[in-house]
Amino acid sequence: MLTYFVLTPIVIAVFLYLFSSNKTSRIIAIVLQAVFTGFAVYLLLQTRQLGEVITFVGNYEGLLGVVLRADMMAAAFVLLTTVLFLVVSIYSLHEDNSKLFWLLMFIWEGILIGIFLSRDFFNVFVLAEVATVVVAVLIMYDKGKRSMFDGLVFLMANTVAIQFYLFGIGYIYFLTGVLDMQVAAAFIANLDREVLILPYALLMTAIAFKAAIIPLYSWLPKVQGIPRAPSAVAALLSGLHVKSAIYLFIRFQDVFAPVASTEFFLIIGLITAVVGVIMAVSQVDIKLLLAYSSTAQVGLIIAGLSIGDAYSYIGSLYHMINHALFKVALFLIAGVLEDMYGTRDMRKINGIFKKDKYIGIAIVLAILGITGAPLFNGNVSKYFIMSGADTVVNTVMILINLGTILVSIRFAAMLFGQADESFVGKKTAKSSDISIYFLGVLCFVGGIFGEEIMSFLFNVHFQMSFYGFIEKLIILTASWIVGLLVYRYVLRGDRNYKIFRRIRAIDLNFRGICFSIGAFFVVILAVVGFLY
Amino acid sequence: MRMMEIVPIVVFFMGMFGLMTSKNIIKSIACLVLLEMAVIVFILGLAFRTGILPPVGQSLENVYSVADPLPQALMITAIIIGLAVTAIDFTMIINLVRRYKSTDWDEVKAMSTENFDEC
Amino acid sequence: MTEALLLLWVVSGILILQEQTVYRMVIYLGVFSLITTIIFLFQGAPDVALASASVSGFSTIFLVVCFEKYYGFRDKPVRRKSFRAHFKPAQIAQGLAALAFCVIMCLMFIRFIPGGYASTYLMYQYITMFQSDVGGENAVTAIYLAYRLYDTVFEALMLVVSVVAVVHLSRFDELSFDDGEQSEVRHSKIAIRTIRCICSVIILFGIYLIANGHISPGGGFQGGVAIAVFFVCRYMIFNIYDIKINTVLKDEKIVFLGIILVAVFAIFLGVHQYFPYQHLPLFQTIYMLMMNTLIGIKVALGFLMLFYRYVAVDRRR
Repeated sequence: MLTYFVLTPIVIAVFLYLFSSNKTSRIIAIVLQAVFTGFAVYLLLQTRQLGEVITFVGNYEGLLGVVLRADMMAAAFVLLTTVLFLVVSIYSLHEDNSKLFWLLMFIWEGILIGIFLSRDFFNVFVLAEVATVVVAVLIMYDKGKRSMFDGLVFLMANTVAIQFYLFGIGYIYFLTGVLDMQVAAAFIANLDREVLILPYALLMTAIAFKAAIIPLYSWLPKVQGIPRAPSAVAALLSGLHVKSAIYLFIRFQDVFAPVASTEFFLIIGLITAVVGVIMAVSQVDIKLLLAYSSTAQVGLIIAGLSIGDAYSYIGSLYHMINHALFKVALFLIAGVLEDMYGTRDMRKINGIFKKDKYIGIAIVLAILGITGAPLFNGNVSKYFIMSGADTVVNTVMILINLGTILVSIRFAAMLFGQADESFVGKKTAKSSDISIYFLGVLCFVGGIFGEEIMSFLFNVHFQMSFYGFIEKLIILTASWIVGLLVYRYVLRGDRNYKIFRRIRAIDLNFRGICFSIGAFFVVILAVVGFLY
Repeated sequence: MRMMEIVPIVVFFMGMFGLMTSKNIIKSIACLVLLEMAVIVFILGLAFRTGILPPVGQSLENVYSVADPLPQALMITAIIIGLAVTAIDFTMIINLVRRYKSTDWDEVKAMSTENFDEC
Repeated sequence: MTEALLLLWVVSGILILQEQTVYRMVIYLGVFSLITTIIFLFQGAPDVALASASVSGFSTIFLVVCFEKYYGFRDKPVRRKSFRAHFKPAQIAQGLAALAFCVIMCLMFIRFIPGGYASTYLMYQYITMFQSDVGGENAVTAIYLAYRLYDTVFEALMLVVSVVAVVHLSRFDELSFDDGEQSEVRHSKIAIRTIRCICSVIILFGIYLIANGHISPGGGFQGGVAIAVFFVCRYMIFNIYDIKINTVLKDEKIVFLGIILVAVFAIFLGVHQYFPYQHLPLFQTIYMLMMNTLIGIKVALGFLMLFYRYVAVDRRR
């Protein structure tokens, strides 16, 4: 059954490419997509009932073939993928994209579902490579000079990183004799710790690159900031593509439990979050701001997963889903704004409320979600992430949230002020509005029914304590006040600080990226090998 | 000695050295090919013994030293994937070459990012 | 013998690293790939060697023709600067730092190499089972076409995406400057004569590889590349371009759908289990031949697209 979850979008994609590209066929595709979402819900219900749905591709018993497994986490992410692709394809309905765009989008969907369901080391490699190429072509869609260069750097750097992964697969096969993650984990549990250091370091280097963790994050803003790249692609890139890498991170940490270094990734995650926030605050480009902000959130998720507490772990999983929802919403809004104002410079976009009330309300919903306001989904997940942390980590996380609030205030500042009449471009299409609203409402629902959704998706029953909720509320209010004060007296106006311009100018070239991949590898090897 | 294991590692890091230092885009691509080939030789060489036989023929279970067929099937896939990626890389490079008449990383970067400094 | 080969391999790698001109680099890359192919043979992997040989042969021809056309690098005089003019002290320092870093990485890597012997958990299962499960005499093809067909489908998908990407990205319509001057490429007469002789052998070889993929080294991919090389040779001899790109693109997608269809019906649905090889060898043989042929056609079409897209892009206008 699971095989068809992966193959169906791909077959739909090729059919769409072959037979027509007019609007009717797109609507048919969207209807099929909606049906497909229904099947994903069915899969989730099945996994709730059975615990795990397993497909042996080709019915080869033993471990001779590829094995696909869907547990609750995988099914939840499959559902997330289908929902987000449904939303994004509704959003892009009005855009005049060629059939190539739709081909690649649906292939991308199939591949991402494949990554979530696959439990085979090599199969993940193949899927990751296809996904990389699909993303590279999608971001170079307009073939502008900037996008061509950045796309080249993205593709080549990804290829370098994935070679480390292939090296790691070689050692895993050498040591265990299998490629299935679950069985390999059973073998690995009986092996010496000494022999596992190298494969672990190799795999983690590639995963860290894909997940955009600190020294290796530079490709994410680079490709998301490409001018005229479709907003839908930028949205799904940080909403889902990066999430698939974090998903693999979770799986590999489980497989390599004897050597897995949680402290290292806790520290790295926190550093990533802090750096991401600092970078985000200093941006003036609306999409770059969102890109660095998602780096920060990735850092937060990685840190939460590495705390080693059940509450933080589940909270991080829920935060992955939440972050996907509001970040996709924000990116789609950014795309709408780019169309409306003809620019991505936040200093030139003002008075959204006066121009388009509905978009303004959608922005408010998404921002409330990302800052973790009460009644919104970010609140629930951040509450659980922080509830397992000790004092130091908690303080850092509060600071990170303060930074997120600052970023959001910068974003929200576009809502007010006097709209410049000369900048009003085309009106937004109804389909875009619908899709953005849908996401905004999901953020709200995810907050109100947060505990119920968590128990539904991950089969855990966590309760937020009232006392803790009030404490978080006080901290959040204080953070908002501090954020507003900082914004009013430090960031307000068009003050273009020199340090911000410096930070904006930071840019790794290809050689630098390769160097940082190597450096990350050496550091993780040294940490795992010598420090423990 | 596990020659078949250590030599590919050395070649791999030679490729990394090339990637870290090369100024020419085409040279970077060549180094990437070096990397890919090194990994493939490495994986096939993990179970290397002298006089190893290919896994082709009838009643293989009676032959003393047969090569493991699984890595071979996987590496064919890896080769094809590497080729597909390299082809796209070259498309982009040719596109850049036609625009700028240059294959220098820094020159191409300077030319492709001009007018985009402060946006 | 193996040691000498590996040494040669490293030397050809160093040759690539130290080379400054593009043309020689491409040739060295060809040499490097050739030696790699021979190493694959020594490792008992003739299937991989065939794949590597066809890929490296194709890409060397491809590179030479393309860069001759767009870059004209053969016409540029090779500038031999003195060492000091070529490298500034800062550069040398940078290079030495990178070298030191790479040596450290390499040593760290070797320090943590796990010892012991390769696990043969799956290997013996494959070697003992494949003839009764799948049939044929080539264990690699059995894995490639039956046990891990799931990977192969995505590999075919990768080629689809790659071809689409190349066609999309190499459409230069919006560019204004003229670049059609260098489109006439004159090849040397000796080369043409040689290619003329080899040409027919190549296509026979390709068909042989596809038809015998399940009992001897080879298979759909290797044969498909060989057939594509035949068409490339034909282009180089007669200088003809008679392929409609849109038709080929469509055909390639249809063949890809065919691959998925056959895969689903023969393997993913579990149909093959009702036709065990001992009793009904025909089904499995037909399946493998069909799959090899489909993959071969798809790969040949894809590679043809890759080549013709560059070579003939100006003719179309």
